[in-house]
Amino acid sequence: MQKKRILVMIPAYNEGRVIKRLVQDISKRYPNYTILVINDGSRDDTAQKASQGGAHVVTLPYNLGIGGAVQTGFKYAHQKGYDIAIQIDGDAQHDPAYLKDVLSPVLNDEADLCIGSRFLSDRSRFKSTFLRRMGIRFFSVLLGWLTRVYLTDPTSGFRATGKHLIEHFSRYYPIDFPEPEAIKIATRYGARIREVPVNMRKRLGGTSSIRYFSTIYYMIKVTFAILIDTLKRKQ
Amino acid sequence: MQTKLFVIITSLLILLTVVELIRRQKMTFKYSMFWLGASFSGLVLSLNENILVTLSELTGFSLPSNFVFFLLLVAFIFLSLLLTLYVNEQNNRTETLAQTLALLEHEIRTIQSVQDTAHQSPKNPR
Repeated sequence: MQKKRILVMIPAYNEGRVIKRLVQDISKRYPNYTILVINDGSRDDTAQKASQGGAHVVTLPYNLGIGGAVQTGFKYAHQKGYDIAIQIDGDAQHDPAYLKDVLSPVLNDEADLCIGSRFLSDRSRFKSTFLRRMGIRFFSVLLGWLTRVYLTDPTSGFRATGKHLIEHFSRYYPIDFPEPEAIKIATRYGARIREVPVNMRKRLGGTSSIRYFSTIYYMIKVTFAILIDTLKRKQ
Repeated sequence: MQTKLFVIITSLLILLTVVELIRRQKMTFKYSMFWLGASFSGLVLSLNENILVTLSELTGFSLPSNFVFFLLLVAFIFLSLLLTLYVNEQNNRTETLAQTLALLEHEIRTIQSVQDTAHQSPKNPR
């Protein structure tokens, strides 16, 4: 079997305190994968710390938001011809030990998009707050209803993407709060979607892209985006 | 009669300002079309008030002035929709530019570091 080229994408915004350790951890566990840190216009030393850790660093001139950063990663993966792109958060909330679990369904060509779910794992101590869990549950039901794909953790940003989807995502990827909408888009391209259990920790640095007061905006925006996507033509 | 003159002058002023802005290349035709169209139709309507009266009767407005207000409202709603569209377009473009710039910068730095290491260990067995 031909060896597949794998890119680990880490979107990071002001993660200077933890990024180096994370990059070193990943490169020690998986020396054959390329690590790309997308520094999303950070005001701290994220870029230097990441490249000290041995990662490739792409620095955006201003803060695009998580979706814009991840899309940059997909563009990189597409341009350089990577077969699989794995996204893992820069705040060390996602445990790199589970990277291979998220990867393997895509690597074995059993899925085009594999999502790491904190709710499938008994060992994941971090389950988020009650309100957030309600929100996540809402998107599970909505996506299940619209796409017949039932996921427990559609907001998880710990995911592996196959070559076919990389190309589509490099062309269009939602700008803010992209995760649930990206799943909807993926089903439109006929992608096979899987979920695997992962362990998530409490974040060590940075802040969630979903802050307290923007939760309502988040819920409405993502719901609207998913509904709008159903109006787009199936590929 | 005074009103008519006033409206004609105002429309002409707007029209000339827009033309002057295009001449000075402060506005492109694409973005001035709305203003050209609006001031031109204002001019036509003020020069020939029969058109306005006929149109307002046709659409069921009892007062032509109400019809004018209605037209203005519609025009401005349309304009702000257009402006929102333009802002979005610009937003998408700067975003694509930022991403392309970042990827190119990374590429340049990679090439540079390859060159630097090549310079540091010159293999010139002569």
